[in-house]
Amino acid sequence: MHHSDVYAISSKDIVFESFDGEAVVLDLSSGKYFGFSDSGSRIWQALSSGVDAQVLIGLTAGASTIGRAELEGFVSQLLELGLLVCLDAPPQPLPSELLAELAATSEPLTVSVHDDLADLIIVDPIHEVEEPVGWPAVKQAS
Amino acid sequence: MSRVTLETLPDYARYLIAAAERAAAYNPVARKIRLPRLELTAHLGPGVLADALDHAFVETRDDQPETSSCRIFIVHPGIPGIPEPAKWGDAHFTEHGFAKRLAETGLRGHHFHDLDFWQFYDPQRRVGVQLMASADAFPPWEPGAPLRAFLHWEYAARGMRLAHAGTLGANGKGLLLAGAGGAGKSGTVAAGLLNGLDSVGDDYVLIDLANGVTACPLFATLKQDPQGFARLGLKNRLPAHGPLNWQGKHTFHIGDIAPRPVPDTLDIVALVVPHIGGGGASSIMPVSRRDAMIALAPSGIAQMPGERESGFRFFSDLTRLLPCYRLSLGTQPQEIAGTIADFLARSAS
Repeated sequence: MHHSDVYAISSKDIVFESFDGEAVVLDLSSGKYFGFSDSGSRIWQALSSGVDAQVLIGLTAGASTIGRAELEGFVSQLLELGLLVCLDAPPQPLPSELLAELAATSEPLTVSVHDDLADLIIVDPIHEVEEPVGWPAVKQAS
Repeated sequence: MSRVTLETLPDYARYLIAAAERAAAYNPVARKIRLPRLELTAHLGPGVLADALDHAFVETRDDQPETSSCRIFIVHPGIPGIPEPAKWGDAHFTEHGFAKRLAETGLRGHHFHDLDFWQFYDPQRRVGVQLMASADAFPPWEPGAPLRAFLHWEYAARGMRLAHAGTLGANGKGLLLAGAGGAGKSGTVAAGLLNGLDSVGDDYVLIDLANGVTACPLFATLKQDPQGFARLGLKNRLPAHGPLNWQGKHTFHIGDIAPRPVPDTLDIVALVVPHIGGGGASSIMPVSRRDAMIALAPSGIAQMPGERESGFRFFSDLTRLLPCYRLSLGTQPQEIAGTIADFLARSAS
């Protein structure tokens, strides 16, 4: 986990909605969707609003408590997916209602990726030219 | 041949729209299509697309309030004053970047690289252009749901939405069937129609959230793969069926199998996610709104160029307005339709 342990949504292209407490996130730039479990949704909500990740360790989530390794793995996944970035800023307080909501969850801390309809980035190879040679020498994959 | 980049894209769009408007007199066909609160006039030449416009839509029967008019010019360089389509000139192309750049200047657009096929729309003036390299150089899916992108842009500008979903209903109440291709939407819709239910479409329908959730028909074409076509008895019922479409599916008109005229609207009472069951009887069970949203939104947003964030918000609102269910499909069309009819009757009571 990054030393700051405070995170923010990575860009304006990351948008999300909540359905009965469960979050669905869309990356507008890629067309990828992310579905969060109930506990994952509460952690996403906390992290994306600037709550210090350290504060979340040991909280009750359903029948268990959130362990350090579990949270670090989850945060790493959100960073790798490009949903969060580290933020150098003071942490925000944990909303009190989130504690009760987290305690009432029943699913493990997960996020599922739905990318079967995500965009293909279309590359025009004609423009991938060898700059010293110039047009129309195409760069070769190394 | 000119090349278009993100920088020059809005200028190219406006240049093409202006060129198409100037060349209108050279387009011999002006086809008016009456759709919900919209009269679309397509200017084009004779051919496959003109024929498709004659059959592909469910047109409204009555005059409707707040009807607007839009004009779409379908053009190619064989028409005087129409240039050769440009090529994409940047190293990378992303749908989102393309749409964002146009939206900054109030425009909408789509580009299909393989055919140098361009579509641009100005929602403020309600004028659009579809530029093709030749009269028949359009994507293979275009005749089944022609001008879909323009309808998407026009209705999105009014806060409505084309959804990639099927519908079934009875007595004016209906359910929305959500899911990606292969989920069983079209087979379920055909099974329902053949057994007395109504539908306003099996693939793309117009959704309005102004008073609850209502669905209106736009396109009249239904599709079935050869296995489903045989299983539903359509092989015998529609003996004059034509060649398979680009997906290897049979296409036919909703009027060929609907028990009565297509209703103008259905009040949607549930969002239903079908899936192919294990061979038993059909069943309908609650599903989380999160899962229903993920079944509904991705294909609807991916298949409609631009308007991504507004689409995500729209489908989120829709999902929150409806109870959501998973429909496990049995194997018998009559039994599937009966399960849905019973469900609709219970929902309406």
